[in-house]
Amino acid sequence: MSGVAAYKVMLLGDIGVGKSSLARRLAFDRFTSDYKPTIGVEIYDHHLPSVGGTPVRLIIWDTDGNFGDAVLRHVYVKQAAAAMIIADRTRPETVSAMLRLGDGFAQMLPGRSIQYIVNKCDLPSADGIDTVLAGLPAGTSLILTSAFDGTNVAEAFQETAAAIKRRGY
Amino acid sequence: MAISPLQSQALPAAARFFADRGVFGLVWIDDQLIVRWTYGHLAAFIGVGRPLAETVLAFVGSEDEILGFKADPSQSLELPGVAIVMAPDARDRVNLSLFYDPKQGCYMLLVACATLDATLEFEVVRHVRARLIAEADTSLKARELLRANRDLEQFAAIVSHDLKAPMRALQYLTEDMEAAASRGDPSQLRAQLAQVKSHANRMSSMLSGLLEYSSVGRKAMAVETVDTRTLAEVIAFSIPFGTGITTTVTGDWPQIETLRAPLDLVLRNLVDNAVKHHDRDAGRVELACTSDGQELTIRVIDDGPGIAPEHRAAVFLPFRTLADPGRPTAYLSPNHSFGIGLGLALVQRTVESIGGQIVLLPNASGSRGTTFEVRWPRELSTTVLLA
Repeated sequence: MSGVAAYKVMLLGDIGVGKSSLARRLAFDRFTSDYKPTIGVEIYDHHLPSVGGTPVRLIIWDTDGNFGDAVLRHVYVKQAAAAMIIADRTRPETVSAMLRLGDGFAQMLPGRSIQYIVNKCDLPSADGIDTVLAGLPAGTSLILTSAFDGTNVAEAFQETAAAIKRRGY
Repeated sequence: MAISPLQSQALPAAARFFADRGVFGLVWIDDQLIVRWTYGHLAAFIGVGRPLAETVLAFVGSEDEILGFKADPSQSLELPGVAIVMAPDARDRVNLSLFYDPKQGCYMLLVACATLDATLEFEVVRHVRARLIAEADTSLKARELLRANRDLEQFAAIVSHDLKAPMRALQYLTEDMEAAASRGDPSQLRAQLAQVKSHANRMSSMLSGLLEYSSVGRKAMAVETVDTRTLAEVIAFSIPFGTGITTTVTGDWPQIETLRAPLDLVLRNLVDNAVKHHDRDAGRVELACTSDGQELTIRVIDDGPGIAPEHRAAVFLPFRTLADPGRPTAYLSPNHSFGIGLGLALVQRTVESIGGQIVLLPNASGSRGTTFEVRWPRELSTTVLLA
């Protein structure tokens, strides 16, 4: 699909938050319950027919959660147009990791779009998570998703693509 | 751009060995980041003739960075453990290593098998890459040595055979002149002196031609923007009035970055050759060109007598002139190289020195005319520029 603007988008987050499940739900509209940790990086090609009136192609980099914060210094992140940083609603420590990765990404690639995602919204929330999320600074882009049932998955990627276009990346 | 010589002739043995066993695949990419050639089944998923980032999604967004490698070939882009997921169950991972090879004048991508230890694998890839570059370097030097040896042999043959004939003639003439002087025959002496002068001039021309021939590809020249149509038209219309030959310039003649003087020399010699050897009062010479992303294909077509099949193999040899001395020619070139049979040899050597090719195309049975086809690379490899 040459001629369509293509943007590199990073999926970042702690191990097991559902990065691959979100990518697979988006790309293949499929959810698998057998967990296979990502090794290295898996790259998905997703076409959005209209973002602000024009088609957009997202090249989605689903990274290995084992990298932790070190992923920000990895070659994988170079030239990324945006990051979607994911936490697991059932594990409070993944929210801290999400916010830390967000700060790091903003420092490494200033001006790029960051979409925070709290996944597994089909499950009950762990104690205290909602309070932490409510305390996020105004203007933080946060969306609750479920890769299991598809809630808000397409919307999250659509919003990321729109933010990339708004920022000109 | 020209992405030979490695791709077609001299893929290093080590690279071929590993690629054939599926350890890695090799991809040659031009400086517009278009994939030009792949080798090995690991690289088979990459579309030839398409932009690199279109088939290797990992490079989307990195195009500017990659283009910068040309200015600083010490840089590379190494992406370990990459799986491009096009289907739900596909998770084959590869290690990608992209770099610019100034010796070949193109980008290269190594697609290596990935297992679990990416660090170890990348160490292997680094060694393979170093070996590949080293072998390419050795291979280029070996080819240059072969060329130098071939030149030396050719020179030895020319000097021993072709220059010997006028030298022998001079020897006989001086003996005859001695005899004429003893006889007191001044008119014979004068005639023989004129022949001595003629042979000396011919030898001088041959030596000058040899010097010119030997210097092809060794002169420092600057690459410049050349409007090839204008160049062709200037050459076509510079034929002296009254030859009866009509020249035309047809086809797609683009503007390219190249060495102007060698291209001018090649086209001018081919046109001059066509005109010089024409055997009729009226005739035509056509300069036609087609071009693609890699090269210009230029044809110089005439409707002259053509070249007999038994002489076709010899047309590019130095000091071989096929003209029938008794046959009238419409126009004699001021270029002294033609008179001694160096014109086409010089043309071939010039074309090859810039990485191109020239061939004499076969004629249809019984038809007149000659067609030379020159394949002129759009972009000169670093090797040519450094020659």
